[in-house]
Amino acid sequence: MTTSVQVDIPDQLVQQAAILVRDGWATDLDEILTDALRRYLISHSAELNEAFIREDVDWGLRGQG
Amino acid sequence: MIRVVVCDAGPLIHLDELGALDLLGDFQTVLVPDAVWTEVEAHRPCLFDRMAGAFIRVGPRHPPSASLVALARLMPLHVGETQALQIAEEHGADLLLTDDMAARLVAKQIGLPVHGTLGILLRAVRRQQRDPRTVADLLRTIPSRSTLHIRPGLLNEIIAEVESIAG
Repeated sequence: MTTSVQVDIPDQLVQQAAILVRDGWATDLDEILTDALRRYLISHSAELNEAFIREDVDWGLRGQG
Repeated sequence: MIRVVVCDAGPLIHLDELGALDLLGDFQTVLVPDAVWTEVEAHRPCLFDRMAGAFIRVGPRHPPSASLVALARLMPLHVGETQALQIAEEHGADLLLTDDMAARLVAKQIGLPVHGTLGILLRAVRRQQRDPRTVADLLRTIPSRSTLHIRPGLLNEIIAEVESIAG
C-alpha cells in the first residue's frame, strides 16, 4: 500500500536525483524519495533518540570526565 | 579528563535557553566551528557577546576525511554538524556535544565520545556545579523554556532519578 504526497523540492536536488535515475542508480524519483525518507526515519527514530538520552543520563550522573 | 570539547549548535542553544550555558565553563577548551557559530548567532544573536571568551571559534584546517564525507552523505547531516565532527577529529577532541541523532551516530562510527545537552545538565550534579534539586527544577522547565524535545514520560523518569540523589 502506498500514499501519494505532494512536496516542494529545490530544483537542484531534483536535477541531482534525475542524474542518478538517468545513470541507472535508481529506478525513478519516487524510489529516491522513498529511500531518503526511510534513511531519515532510521537515523531519527524514537528508539535511537531514547537510547542516546539514556546514555547521557548514565554519563551525566555516573560517568567520568 | 575532558580537555577539548567541540560543540554543535544544539547544546549551545538549548543550554542558553535554560540559562545554563555556564556549565560549559567546566571544560578547559570549548571549540565552536565556524558554521555552528553562524547558526547559533542566527538563533541566539547575543549569546557569544554575553559569553565573550568562553568559546573559541575555529574553522576546519583540512578537507574532511573520506570516511566523514561518505558518512555525512549517507546520513542527513547539515553543514554545522559535519564541521563539528571534522573539527573534533582534527583537534583530537575528548568530547563532541551535539543533540542531533545522525551526528551522534556518525561520531560513534568514527570513535568520537559524544553526548548532548541532557548529559551536560546531569553532569552538573556529578561535578557539583549545581545541586540535584536545582537540576531537577531545570529539567522540569525543558518543555516550556527550551526547544529540546524529550518524551515527557522519559523526562519525568530522569527528574525522579535526580530527585532521588537529592534525597
